[in-house]
Amino acid sequence: MHTFAYARPATLAEAVALLEAHGPAARLLAGGTDLVIRLRDGTARPAVVIDVKQIAELRPAIREENGRLVISAGTVMTDVASDDRVRRSFPALAEAAAVVGSVQIRNRATLVGNVCNASPAADTAPPLLVSGATVVAEGPGGTRRIPVDGFFVRSGVTTLARGELVTAIELPLPARKLGAVHMRRTRRRGHDLASVTLCCAVDEAGVTRLAYGSVGPRPILMIDESGVLADPAGSDEAKAPIFERMFADASPSPRSMRASPEYRLAMLRVLGARALRTAIDRLARG
Amino acid sequence: MRTDRIGGSPNRVGGIGRVTGSQQYVADIRLQDVLEVKLVTLDCARARIISIDTSAAELVPGVRLVMTAAHLPQPVPRFGPQFSDRPIIAVGETKYHGEPVAAVAAETRDAAEEAARLVRVEYEELPAVFTIAAALDPASPLVQDPSLRAGDPLAGTNVLREHRFGWGDVEVAASSADLVVENAYTFPMVTHFAIEPHAFMAAPDGDGIAIWSSIQHPNWLQKIISQILGLPLAKVRVFAPDPGGGFGGKQHTKLEPLVAFMALRTGRPVRLILTLEETFQAVRRTSAEVRVRTGFMSDGTLAFQDVQANYLIGAYADIADRVVSKGSYPAAGPYRVPAVRIVSRSVLSHTTPATAFRGFGNPQVNWAVESNMDEGARALAIDRLEIRLRNLARKGEAFIPVDTPADGDWEQTVRRAAELIGWGTPLQPGRGRGLALGIKSGPTTGLSYATVRLLADGSVIVYAGTSDMGQGARTVFAQIAATELGAPLDWITVVMGDTAVVPYDQQTSASRSTVLMGNAILRACQSIQAQLRTMAARLHGLDEADIVVEGGAVRLPDRELPIIDVLKPGLGRLGGELVGNGEMRKEAEPGHPLGGSAAFYEFNCTAVEAEVDEETGDVTLVRHVTVSDVGKALNPLQVTMQDEGAAIMGLGHTLMEHYIYDERGRIRNLGAIDYRIPTSMDLPLEMLSAMVENADGPGPYGSKGMSEGALLCVAPAVAAAVRDATGVAIRDLPLTPERVWRALRDRSTP
Repeated sequence: MHTFAYARPATLAEAVALLEAHGPAARLLAGGTDLVIRLRDGTARPAVVIDVKQIAELRPAIREENGRLVISAGTVMTDVASDDRVRRSFPALAEAAAVVGSVQIRNRATLVGNVCNASPAADTAPPLLVSGATVVAEGPGGTRRIPVDGFFVRSGVTTLARGELVTAIELPLPARKLGAVHMRRTRRRGHDLASVTLCCAVDEAGVTRLAYGSVGPRPILMIDESGVLADPAGSDEAKAPIFERMFADASPSPRSMRASPEYRLAMLRVLGARALRTAIDRLARG
Repeated sequence: MRTDRIGGSPNRVGGIGRVTGSQQYVADIRLQDVLEVKLVTLDCARARIISIDTSAAELVPGVRLVMTAAHLPQPVPRFGPQFSDRPIIAVGETKYHGEPVAAVAAETRDAAEEAARLVRVEYEELPAVFTIAAALDPASPLVQDPSLRAGDPLAGTNVLREHRFGWGDVEVAASSADLVVENAYTFPMVTHFAIEPHAFMAAPDGDGIAIWSSIQHPNWLQKIISQILGLPLAKVRVFAPDPGGGFGGKQHTKLEPLVAFMALRTGRPVRLILTLEETFQAVRRTSAEVRVRTGFMSDGTLAFQDVQANYLIGAYADIADRVVSKGSYPAAGPYRVPAVRIVSRSVLSHTTPATAFRGFGNPQVNWAVESNMDEGARALAIDRLEIRLRNLARKGEAFIPVDTPADGDWEQTVRRAAELIGWGTPLQPGRGRGLALGIKSGPTTGLSYATVRLLADGSVIVYAGTSDMGQGARTVFAQIAATELGAPLDWITVVMGDTAVVPYDQQTSASRSTVLMGNAILRACQSIQAQLRTMAARLHGLDEADIVVEGGAVRLPDRELPIIDVLKPGLGRLGGELVGNGEMRKEAEPGHPLGGSAAFYEFNCTAVEAEVDEETGDVTLVRHVTVSDVGKALNPLQVTMQDEGAAIMGLGHTLMEHYIYDERGRIRNLGAIDYRIPTSMDLPLEMLSAMVENADGPGPYGSKGMSEGALLCVAPAVAAAVRDATGVAIRDLPLTPERVWRALRDRSTP
């Protein structure tokens, strides 16, 4: 393994200072489920690894605050998936967190880490997009709140500025009743990377929010306020053109060996229709 | 019945160590002063090596040796189980992605890795062949230097060997057949994926050398090292700790000669533990393209089988050509077929050297021939089970002329599988059933020696050169000794994996060990029983003929004694022990197409019920039935575990596993992320393993080998179920959701 310096700041301010000083030569370590593998295979060769696990503000915690659920940067997938408040208010996020990696990985990997990697296939990205989540970043200029839809750029790249790190993700507790679901396509049922990952939420006002990933450089959020998609009695023919508009931006890579673009695009439509049916059904069942 | 005797299922010998992590694999053995080795490889398949500059690598602190071909005896020795074609390290040219051109030995793994990155290799990438079509194109480059097989008329081609088997006249049969079905099938390139990666260690040992390897055939390795180093066998000591899975991928010598030379040059122990990615580049199964033409009479009777199988082997032969010949030889299946023509070729390519893999070349042709049986049945409107039963060889029938006749009542196996799958009962919509038969020739030659020592207190040590790589050989061997000598299982030690201590065994392969080594152990026990009889006669003033030793007891005319009651007084005040030796030999048969007839057949029937999601192409196995004819289950739980394990492994190449190469011959899905094997979540919703026992095998108590059978015909059974559910026949593996989806889409396109 390549040699690197290891820092374990005790405060957020120290972490920010280190990040600012080293810029792209620094990598943050929380769960380590991506970073350690990259250190070992040499695809990441940072000068310094900043371990953020000792910073009090980042310690694992999920708390309710001013109508929002706040998930700290140290919170692992297992805890996200099993948290009662997440399961009640953001069931699709719980479903997504429960299929990331394997049991061992979910016990280490953090939700914030998943978001910061900005993998187009990140399973938690679609439910966060659908839920209108906000990324809370701390940096040299203070605290910044970034809507998650404005956070992802492409694989490994976010809109974080030099010196910034994510301290939490905030999810506004839904004001309306809704039904939501997360679905994915993988090559096998056991743990795998998604070749399509998708979340659909339908609320009682007839708004359908659909987000999907792994079919382009970044996950995409689409909203239908016409009420056509959410209509339980609506015909497939009526819904089809809206789906087509929603999926128009999907552009899967032809270089991937996980699935051909043709198959991904076809499965996006299959999952979209299935997820919509499930979301409508869940809304009806309350 | 006591569970530690034959027919019981005691806790596995060594099982607790295996599941708690205390078992010592090669990588767990820590020798003092050991140097860590890292291989230097190129980022392409075939390249001419122009120069190797090791100077920067040698400056890395802790580096003790950067070995290249220049450090080796010239010409660089070559070795292999079938052909001496593989050099110890690449000479002049690399022939596949991952072939080492140099190797670094350093005090730490980090230093070795760092130095390996700093070895500067100047090379010129050369045109190469990665597919059967490219390899057979006369305009393509040759993989093997023709001088390595001077005088061979095929030396100017990429065909290493062509094998022709058969009987009867296919053309005559074809002219009178009522139906001829011809199709081509492909079988993917897959790797063994043993959970323990290959590991090699060597150390100078007095005036000889010691080698540690995760190898299935320690004695064969000993022979090869002895030849390469010019040392007598007695000066080459091979330690073979129980491997963590082998599946054929650990049968033969790979990088042991390289680490041996590195150990001799540095005067230190050196070890090389491959990464999972490196094992992908070290071993794989032969892929294949099989064209099969099957002739039927209108009543479903087989008229002929005409099979052309091209197997893509790698850059060096390893044992792959034997895989091709032995695997294709029973291609016509367990059926009565009047005319058979089999032409199989081992085709060299610039890819990972192919080697033995559970099933040994049979699943490739079985996939084609059994799928074609279904095609014939459908065309003739005969039930797919019925057409098989109609042609199935009866016990004792010479279904392959001049080979071992059918050695089981195979119809029992087929009927049991059909019953367990509910063949002929109504199906839910979207579901289908498939059923296939598989057959594999057991070992054609064999030689196993065993030593058994009955110690003064009645405890037993068994010495057997088998490698227990998870199949449970230790347990079965201990059960044989427990049954014959009366000791409880925990009073028996089975010693394996040290050529300086354990007598010779030819190999652990072809599901042979229960039969061949088992018989050797049984004979060693019988030798001890004979000595006990002599003892008892002396002690009790009886005639030996009036004494019987069996089932762990000594029976005198008027009473029965535990063995210990004869042993103790018989050995007397000084104590001591009784030693028995056993030998089991299956001689070669000159003139036989394979060099010897089958010691037994592995016969299996697999039946599945599958549900197909027509929107996504997902195939869900609702039920998977596997039934094997095992002769006698010495340990029924282990038989079930082997059967289930083989079946699940078969689901890998059937549903998801395959290497993906890029245009430069690099494996794109190198490693676990993009090469998917079935997990526990991918198993059939219900799996049923059953066995047929008629005690008609050549092994102890009527047993047969059985560790591969359940893998043989998984693919045709599953594909047949998909066909039954959807009407679509798919002739390429694996049946990934995308491939099934495409086939369904193309079906519905007018």
